[in-house]
Amino acid sequence: MYRRSFKDTKSSLGSPNPNFSKPMVALRFLRALSLVRCSGPGARSPSYRARGIRRAAYACMAASAGPRRAWSRALLRKIRRRPGRGLRRPRAVIRRRRPVGGGDPLEVALRRLVPGGGCMEYCRLLEEAADYVKCLAMQVRLMQTIVDSASHVNSID
Amino acid sequence: MEPPRSSGVGIDNSGEYSPEIAETLRFEEEIQSLIHPSSFDGSAAPTGGGSFTALLGLPANQAVELLHDSGAREPLASRIRVGEHPVHRPFHLPLDCSSAFPSNATLVDRAARFSVFAAEGSPASSSGRLKAEPQDSDSPPLDPIPTGPAKRKDTGRSKCDVRLSLSFKSQAKVTAKKSKNAEENTDGDKLPYVHVRARRGQATDNHSLAERARREKINARMKLLQELVPGCSKITGTALVLDEIINHVQTLQRQVEFLSMRLAAVNPRIDFSSLDSYLSAECGPVTVRNGPGGVVVDPSLWPTDATAEATRRLLVPQFWHIDLVPPQLQPQQSLTTWERDGAAHSQLLPNPTTSLFLYDPANSGDTNVPHRTAKLKTAEDRALNL
Repeated sequence: MYRRSFKDTKSSLGSPNPNFSKPMVALRFLRALSLVRCSGPGARSPSYRARGIRRAAYACMAASAGPRRAWSRALLRKIRRRPGRGLRRPRAVIRRRRPVGGGDPLEVALRRLVPGGGCMEYCRLLEEAADYVKCLAMQVRLMQTIVDSASHVNSID
Repeated sequence: MEPPRSSGVGIDNSGEYSPEIAETLRFEEEIQSLIHPSSFDGSAAPTGGGSFTALLGLPANQAVELLHDSGAREPLASRIRVGEHPVHRPFHLPLDCSSAFPSNATLVDRAARFSVFAAEGSPASSSGRLKAEPQDSDSPPLDPIPTGPAKRKDTGRSKCDVRLSLSFKSQAKVTAKKSKNAEENTDGDKLPYVHVRARRGQATDNHSLAERARREKINARMKLLQELVPGCSKITGTALVLDEIINHVQTLQRQVEFLSMRLAAVNPRIDFSSLDSYLSAECGPVTVRNGPGGVVVDPSLWPTDATAEATRRLLVPQFWHIDLVPPQLQPQQSLTTWERDGAAHSQLLPNPTTSLFLYDPANSGDTNVPHRTAKLKTAEDRALNL
């Protein structure tokens, strides 16, 4: 349910914004949060909700990073792929370029960490990793602020 | 773009370094000013321009040859040669700062090396042709400076600088081989090159040049990453840096996980309805009740500057319904429950009606907490004004 809305949010806000627009990420995330919450307030276990929230976090992070980034595309693809789509239309997507040199364990680890890192050259991998780290840091700060303010609000009562 | 200014401009990059560079700059400007009044004649004049060539520590004609070699810089070079003629007066300057030259040379060299990163940084420039120029391998390559060295994309200019730096350097470390390398590897052409400095004794064929360019690109990116990851700047060595980066990424991902768990735990106690209203205020009305669970965000309804916040400006500028609440608060709009809630931007829901995301009637029970919404508003304000 909320997955659908992720897509909608993304398509509606459309254009590739640079990730410096923190309010954008915040908005998307808050919206997604409320969606997650609304989708099953009492019925779901907190862990299920936690997973949904995590997906929401990554989705809005990727969405606000813009489609120009390889990692954001890969991340969104990974997120949206989950709802058991059995039928995969063969798309004309050039996926695996297969960069050679899986010898360096550090490089391999980095490839696994960064979404979409399997197909890139080393040079692009570093570039994408830099952007990914930046966005991740921003997302973490955002979530931290939300949690803090939320708990602060709760403690006031 | 006047050639006389060019080398000055090129040196400007390293202006951040030292007064010595400024002195070099002044020296060059002196030369240029010299050159202008003097008439242009093409005769090679390897003569007692005295101080200039003495500085070089080379026989005059060799120095001149060095200068002469940059084909694109030919006018300048010849002008420099001309400038050697006349006047000892302006050349006092180089004598004064001659002591500064060795370090100048290194710094100028570094500045010239920026051209590598500059050219790399802008993919447009790397037309794939590489130019090898000899360099000192002593100082490590520095961070790419995107703005300054963009000027140095012009090979002619940078080559002129390289020529000068080379000539200065030869005083510091006189190696005939280096100057010969300089002569060999330059041609005068005006295409934007990726400037790769060939170390002494390294091959200068295309393949190794390409590899070297690639390696330097990778190093530049690694530098960027190092800056991003806290505590990585001190670490030397690629492996350790990579290790640190990987650790950092893993830490961040774990943090996301933990925070999402915390949010999930905290969630039931938070009323997100006011949040929704705030969001609607920000972002425009959303059609509600699309059945059990789908909310279609109508893209046409995103207003532009509903408020002063940057977000709005980023949104698709279409002003359809201005049910949207600017912070000045327009009461009214009776379209959907969304807009009704949206009316309460700054005072948070004058009518404590239900949340915008009214999927189930079950949710409507949650939303009747006006007092809490006020607090949440400030909280969300803080959250959003990060």
